[in-house]
Formats: sequence, C-alpha cells, structure tokens
Amino acid sequence: MLAPLHSTNTSQAPVTHFADDRCCLSIDRFSLAYAGKTALRDLTLSVPRHRVTAFIGPSGCGKSTLLRAINRLHDLNESVAHSGHIALEGHDIHDPQMNVTELRRRVGMVFQTPNPFPMSIYENVAFGLRLQQRLPKRKRDDIIEWALTSAALWDEVKDRLHRSAWQLSGGQQQRLVIARTLAVQPDVLLLDEPASALDPISTLKIEELIRNLKSQLTLVLVTHNMQQAARVSDYTAFLHQGELVEYGPTDQVFTNPRLQRTENYITGRVT
Amino acid sequence: MIPPRLTTPRQPLRLLKDRVATGLITAGGIGVLLAILAIGIFLVWETLPLLAIGDTLALAKLSPLAWGTLKAALAALLFAIPIALGAAIYSALFMSARLRTRIKPTLEMMEAIPGVVVGFIAGLILAPWVERHLASALALIIWLPLSAGLAGLAWQLTKARLRRRLPLSWAGLWLVPWLALMVALALWITPWIEQQWLGGDLRQLLDQRFGMDYATRNAMIVGIAMGFAVIPSIYSLAEDALSDVPTTLIEGAQALGASRWQALWRVALTAAGPGIFSAVMIGAGRAVGETMIVLMASGNTALFSASPFEGMRSMAAAIAIELPEAAPGGLTYHLLILAALVLFIFTFLVNTLAEVVRQRLRRRYRHMGGTS
Amino acid sequence: MNDRSASASSRRLHFDWLNSLWPWLCAASVALSLLMLGALLTLLVVRGLGHFWPANLEQVTLNSGETFAGQTVREVALPQQEGDERLYFTGNQDIDGARWRWVAIEEIAERSHPVDLIRLERTPWGDFIGRLAAIEQADQRWEGEAAWRHLTTLLALPINQRPDSQLLLSTANGQTLRLPLTNVLSAQAPNAMAWWQKTHAWGEGVWRFLSEGPRAANTGGGVWPAIFGTVLMVILMSVMVTPFGVLAAIYLNEIAHQGRLTRFVRIGVRNLAGVPSIVYGVFGLGVFVYGIGGSIDEWFFSDTLPSPTFGTGGLLWASLTLALLTLPVVIVATEEGLARIPEAQREGAVALGATRLEMLTRIVLPMAAPAMLTGVILAIARAAGEVAPLMLVGVAKLAPQMPVDGEFPYLHLERKFMHLGYHLFDTAFHGEDVQAAIPLVYATALLLVLIVLVLNLTAIFLRHYLRRQRGSEC
Repeated sequence: MLAPLHSTNTSQAPVTHFADDRCCLSIDRFSLAYAGKTALRDLTLSVPRHRVTAFIGPSGCGKSTLLRAINRLHDLNESVAHSGHIALEGHDIHDPQMNVTELRRRVGMVFQTPNPFPMSIYENVAFGLRLQQRLPKRKRDDIIEWALTSAALWDEVKDRLHRSAWQLSGGQQQRLVIARTLAVQPDVLLLDEPASALDPISTLKIEELIRNLKSQLTLVLVTHNMQQAARVSDYTAFLHQGELVEYGPTDQVFTNPRLQRTENYITGRVT
Repeated sequence: MIPPRLTTPRQPLRLLKDRVATGLITAGGIGVLLAILAIGIFLVWETLPLLAIGDTLALAKLSPLAWGTLKAALAALLFAIPIALGAAIYSALFMSARLRTRIKPTLEMMEAIPGVVVGFIAGLILAPWVERHLASALALIIWLPLSAGLAGLAWQLTKARLRRRLPLSWAGLWLVPWLALMVALALWITPWIEQQWLGGDLRQLLDQRFGMDYATRNAMIVGIAMGFAVIPSIYSLAEDALSDVPTTLIEGAQALGASRWQALWRVALTAAGPGIFSAVMIGAGRAVGETMIVLMASGNTALFSASPFEGMRSMAAAIAIELPEAAPGGLTYHLLILAALVLFIFTFLVNTLAEVVRQRLRRRYRHMGGTS
Repeated sequence: MNDRSASASSRRLHFDWLNSLWPWLCAASVALSLLMLGALLTLLVVRGLGHFWPANLEQVTLNSGETFAGQTVREVALPQQEGDERLYFTGNQDIDGARWRWVAIEEIAERSHPVDLIRLERTPWGDFIGRLAAIEQADQRWEGEAAWRHLTTLLALPINQRPDSQLLLSTANGQTLRLPLTNVLSAQAPNAMAWWQKTHAWGEGVWRFLSEGPRAANTGGGVWPAIFGTVLMVILMSVMVTPFGVLAAIYLNEIAHQGRLTRFVRIGVRNLAGVPSIVYGVFGLGVFVYGIGGSIDEWFFSDTLPSPTFGTGGLLWASLTLALLTLPVVIVATEEGLARIPEAQREGAVALGATRLEMLTRIVLPMAAPAMLTGVILAIARAAGEVAPLMLVGVAKLAPQMPVDGEFPYLHLERKFMHLGYHLFDTAFHGEDVQAAIPLVYATALLLVLIVLVLNLTAIFLRHYLRRQRGSEC
C-alpha cells in the first residue's frame, strides 16, 4: 500500500506538469547534500505562474532547503553540493552565465522570523532599490509607496516612514519584509513559514496578502500549518524525507490524496 | 494597482567590486595572521645560532633568570589564588545579584591599572614601608583571615534584626570598613608585641637567629604587587566558571542532605574544576610574563635563593634591561631572545591549554542543559 | 527556654563552625580586594593632587640656636632609639648644598609660620625658600611689602616683556643672595594666602603640570611632552591596528571556511592576547628596528651612517609594535560583534540581491561598529599603559625634539618620544633626587591611571549599551 521510499520508479510519485507558457519554475531531478548528508533526493516538479504553490511536510523533510536552493542561498555555505536542474522562466539558475544577484532580485525571499534591517522603515524598503540603480527621489518614493501599499502596510506606517523598523510589531515587520522584497519587483516570491512566529490576527493578514499578491507574481509558500496551506494555496506539494511524495491541485491533495502516506500526514496520523 | 516600471541595467561593476573586495579582505586577513605567525618564526630563527655555540653556557646564564621568573610567579600566585578564588566563590554563590553587577566590573577594572603604576607603588612606597614594619606586615597575613572569621563568629551571635540589616549577601561590601579597622588595629598593636617578645626588631632577629638577609625589594613585595595584578584575571575567569555551574546541581546536592560546604566542595568546585584550573593557568601565564612590576619591585639581583626576603631577576625584566644594550648578533642578544622564546612558548602553551579546557567545559554544560 | 537556646547556639558553633565560617573568608577576599584597590586609588589621588596644594612654610629654630625654613614632608621613627625625626624640604641647594634636612623632633626648640616666607621656583638651582628683601630695577628700588607686590606684577608679564631686575633675597638664617629676575619662574607666599587663593594656586599648579615640559632632571615642571608623545603614539597605533584588526576579523568570521583550521587560528589569536608584552618588544626590536629600519637606513640614509635614522627605536616602530600587541584585542572584540549579528540579517540582504561586499558594508559593518569601537578603545587603553615593549623600541627619558614640529615633513616618525608610563618609571627609578621627584611621580601615575580607567569605562558602557540595544531587538 505504501510506495517504498527509495523507489526510483518516478511513476509512483506523479508530477503535475504545466505547459511552458504557464510554468514559472521548473525543478528537474534536483538533489542536494549538506555536508555529505542528503537533504533533497531527485525532486521533479514545476510551479505555475501567478499561483500560490505550497510545500508541506514534517519538519526536516527538506521543504525549506528546497526554497533556499531556488534562491541559491546555499552558495553562502561551501559544504553544500547539488545535482540536477532548477530553471526560472526556462533559464538554468546554476548556469555559470547566470548573475546570482540578479537571480536573487527576481526571486524574492521572506524568512520565518521577520528580519528588518536596523534602519528606518523607508530605508528598509529602499535597500534593494539602492543596490540596483540610482533613482531620482520622486520615482523612488513612488516605488516605496507602491510596495508598502501592495504589502498592505502603507496606511499603518505612512506617517512614520523614518522611524526605526524595529519599533513595528511582529506582523508589521513581516509585511515590511514583504514590501522590501516587492520593491525590487521580483517574478517569484518565496515565503518560508512567514506566519509561524506571528499571532493569529497577523497570520490572517499575511494570508490575505498572499492571496492578493498572486495577481502580480508567482508565490511559493512553505508551511507546516495544514489549514494555512489549504486556505491560501492553489497547488500543494507534499515532501517527506527529502523526496516528493505527492503534488497536485490543493483541493485534490487535501480531499482526495492519491497516496495513503499523504492522507496519514494530512489527517495528523503520522508526523 | 500597477507597479511603477523598473528597468534593471546590467551591472558588471558590482560583481567585479565584490570579487576584488573579497580578494583584498582575504589577502589582508591572511596577511595579518601571517604577521602574527612571524613572531614565533622570528624568535626561533634568532635563537638558532645558539645551537652552534653549545647550550651549557646558555643554561648557566639563563638558569638564575628562569629561577627568578618562577619564584616571582609562584609568590604572586601564592598571594593571588586564595584571594581570587575566595572572591570568585563568594560572588558566584553568595553575593546578591545587584551587588554582583557592580563588584565584578570593579574588580575586573583592577586589571586595567598599568603595571608601571603598581610597580612604582610596590617598589618605592610599599617596599620601604614593609622594611620598616616587617612584623606588622607579617602579622597582617595571619590577622586578616582571623578577623574575617571573627566577623563571621560575631555575626552568628548577633540578633536577627542586625543580621537582616547586614546580610551575608552584601558582606563583600560591608566587610571593607571592618577589615580597614582590623588593619589599623594590627598596625597599632604589633610594634608593642614586637617590642615585648621579638626583641624590638624582627629583621635583626631574622638575621641573627636564622641568618636570613632582608632586601628592601624582595620576593614578598613582588608577590603582593604582582598578585594584585593577577587577582582580576583569575577572579574573572573562575567566577565565570562557577556561575556557569547549573544551579540545579548545587540545589540537587543540598536536597540530598549535603551541607552548603559539601555542596560547594563536592559539586560546584568539581563541576567548575576545569574552569578554575584554566583561570589559574591564565593567571600563571600573566605572572610569568609581567615585566614592569618585577623590574621595579624585585631589586633585579640574579640570585639563586628561595628566601622570600631576597630579590630576584626575571627573564622579562632581564630582557627589558639588557636587550637595548646588547649588540645585535652577539651572544647576549641571542640568549635574551632565547629567553623571549621560552616566555612565548610557555604562555602560548598555558593559554592554549586553558582555552581548550574552557571550551570543553562549556560544551559539557550545554549537554547538561545548564544555563550558560 | 534560656538553657535550650544557649545549648543550641553552642552546638551550632561547635558542630558547624566550618560550614558557617568559610563563606566569611570568601567574602573577606572580595572585601580585601576592594580595600586594596580603594587604598591604591586613594593614595594616588591624595598624594598626586595634594602635591599642588601650596603647603605652609615653617621656620624652625633648633636647640643649638640654628634657624632654617622649609616645608614638612613626613615623620619617621628614629632608627635604634626612642622618638621621631622629621624630614623638611628646605630648598636652597646653592647655599646649603642639600635640599632636604632630617631633624630629630627633640632638637626642635621653636616652630613658627611667618607670613613673609616665600618660595621661589627658579633655575638652575631648584626652589628657594626664604625672604624677599628688595627688588632693584635700573636705579629704582622696592623694599618689604612693596617688593613682593612688585614681584607679582612682574611675574604676571610674559617672559620676554619682563624688565631686567635683580632680586635681593635672604634665607632664614640670614644669608643673602642676588638673583636675576630671568631665573625666576614663579613665586608664592603660602603662609599669607587665604584658602581660596590656595585653591587658585592649586588649579594653576595642576594646569602647569599638564601643560609644561619637565625641568631639573624631571624633578620639576610638567609632563606635557609625555602626554603628547603618548597620545601621538596611541593615535598612530590605532590608525594601524583598526583596519588590519577589522580586516582579519571579517576574514575569520565572514569569509574563511569555518573548519578546524579556522578554529585553531581563532584560539591562537585569542592566546596571543596573553603573550607577554615584552616578547612583542623583542620582536619589534629585532624585526622592525634592526631588520626593516636597518635596511631603510642602508638604502635611503646611507650618507648619515653609522648613526642610524630608522635603524634605532622611534615613534614609528613603537606604534607598529604596539599595534601588533593590540591586534588580538581588536580582532577578538570585532569577531564577537560580528558573531552576535543574526544570520537572518545577512540572508535578508543577500536575498534582496546584495553582493557580499554590499551585505558587509551596508548591514554587517554598521551593526558591528560599536563592537569594533569597543575593541579599539580597549586596545588604546592597553597601549597607553604598556611600558615594557617601549623600552626596547623607541621611548626616551627626555626627547630633545618633539615628534611633530614646523619642519618638513612635520611628523617625524623616526624620532624618539616621551611616554607617560616610561616617564614615570624613569623618574622614579633613575632620577638623581628620587625624594624630590616622588610627588610628581604620584601625579603622573594618577594621570596615567585616570586615562586608562576612563578609556576602560567607556568601553564597558559601550558594550553594555550594545547588549541592551541587541536585547530590545527580539
């Protein structure tokens, strides 16, 4: 009844494929080892454009690792080795021709705990912009207002843009981080358990924000909160011990999982 | 809402800058580390010519200096270890938290007092005073611990209300005037005792009865002065080690019926033992290398004498005095550099040992789930 | 009831004495350390500042009928007999042949404090203590009170505007001498001064100590060249140690592969802080002075050889040596600051498309700045108090030329310089008249301790502030 974990027969872990014009990120037989220990094994899936895709699974299943791999954050750590391909809009991100900083601009990332920089709210949002190019102040102000509005934060902070970002509440900080990422206009936004450190009301605000943002860009959400995945995502991938177990439209994965393992996890019988 | 257009130019300059800066930092960092390494290489290189000369001469010249160094360090440690460890035990286990946040930085501040100032006070003020009041100075060594015990005894016998006013957790502070009073008392009374029983002059007595010479600047003075300088480093590290011992351990021992003394001796000191050991090691390293205090308080006579009332010359002091006059390339020059090499290797080994012990200890506490 | 409590307390004493007394021994250790520290600081403050207070002058008549004037210094028990003896500072070395006089108290017949006793600071013979009889200027002559008033007005003038005059002086025992005004530096009549005048004179004395150069083989005058030399050397040192220390810390913490080797290097660097300073002095002498300095002399200053230019101790080599000595301090403090920055901040910057350089300069370094500053301040505090290595690489007991002057290239890195700590050591141990120098040594020691303590306190508060700020982040 259970698919063997080390099966090389990929037909047992069916993959939802999207046509090229709908596919934003495609991951092809991607494996990753951290200090000799395998963290991701032979993953293949593709993420559709302008949709919310959720990665779920028990802790240690590799969902955050996968997210960081898409941003090439593992470059900072030398003991990480990988094989296989990840392509963003058809371009391999590990291509030596690829400009890593440009990749990271196009693939924004929001972390588990809010990490605003120790500067003013305005400067936080302007940080990424200043790296890219010298803009006239008017234009920069426009972009910052747009980014904060998109992150549903403008009304709360418009009177204190030059105060320290560390004075904001946790939920506001997290939305500020999202605004900071939006300001450089990425194509993809990766969210690594963005609400796990927040209270329920802030969590709801973030979730609503995620649903609203998908008209602008592609979102990938890592969460350990099953209800959250069900509420906000369009597609859901279930990872277990570094392998992709099941991937499909969220409704289908949650209401009618094809594999027993997925159902056990979703209903909380297995962790 | 439509986002304002953002055109992204290609920026090869940014990446280039990053590469160059990373290269520069790497080069600079490795360069600095190499410069530090160069100290050891230089010292070894400059002592190599001694091998050609043969080492008997070197030994004969260096051994009184080595003896002097050891004697000075031992004297300092003899004075510093009891005080520093006592202070560490008290502030880690008994002192009120509020007092501790004030006292600890104050005592650590002692370390900042330049050696040259301590040496001046010891050599020009303390040494002549002790020479004139030798009996009082020796009496103080016995009298001070006794008077501390006396304070404890008196405290046990006083009424509970006074005891609450002057709690043990603040004793480190309110014992200061008490000790000052006791010092004054001792200074007032010992000349009389000396007159009555010791024939009026202890120094004469020592000379006639035991044949001990008394030099104004001697090992005892060095011990006190350098002990003063070493106390803060031993205290600080030993205190860290003791307060890192999980309180659950001590409480657990007391819950099993151990007295506070047993809990301290069997549990806290055993658990923090390696940390205290490394504190003493670092103190020893400092005592061996300290130059100015020994130079100013020891009289600088290269003697082979174990008497606490005679001077010595340490390796560090010898280097400071003789090296500027030694001709580069000459025998004395190489010998003094050998002395520097010995100091370097000794302190480096001692410190490494202490650091390794300390790190291992910290890891062990983390396993025990203690607060660190 | 009474019986029971008595027996209980005696049993406690009998049975538990070890258990109840050892905490007191430990507490006494803390108290003793505090007492020693307090005594040291009090001694320095009292003796260092007290020296500048205009002490009263005493006229003493002995049983033999002899009279002299002087300032009481201290009393000591007579050796081998009953009674005390007193030390007077009598000045007048040109007349008496000595500046100090020990007198057994029994021999003193009479002591008085006449208001007309004055004390002149003069060159070349040191202080004069006695009376001012008259002042002669060209064909004018002032006597008594008027002479004293005229002298004070003359001394208020700048040195080059003082007219040619002669002072007629008489000592307490009636000897007279003539002294040209140009030899007089300052004059005081302490017995006639009110307390506020004395306070003013005290302030002046402190100021002159800080702003003047040493005189009379370091037994008089001030320590300005030593302060200047110390500060200049420390500034040069921080200019060298800050960039390299920070660079090495960044390399170790941000760039180097965090493996076993890095851990060893880190322990090594930490331990270098414990290597005796004299070893750095030896390295500085052998490598900087004889090695590099000798080569520079051969290549660029061969015309002045064999007298060395850079091949001898000097400002540059001293600062370099101390920079090496304090390098571990800066590296360790900076590394601690870097390690305390949350990884999330670095990832946040990188995830926005920042290169490593941009991440370092815009996020990491600003956040680590207070830690670096703490490290540099600690390094300065250590360097300011360090003497032993300087004795090998370029400090001088009396530098004839300041290392900075109006002559090109203005900053003379090869010159020797004076240093507060070494000045203290040299004055206290190699002076001709240690007795006369000790008050100034106290004042110098106080100044040195104050500088070092203030620097250390700044570092402590900075670190404290830093911890609190970091604490409020979460």
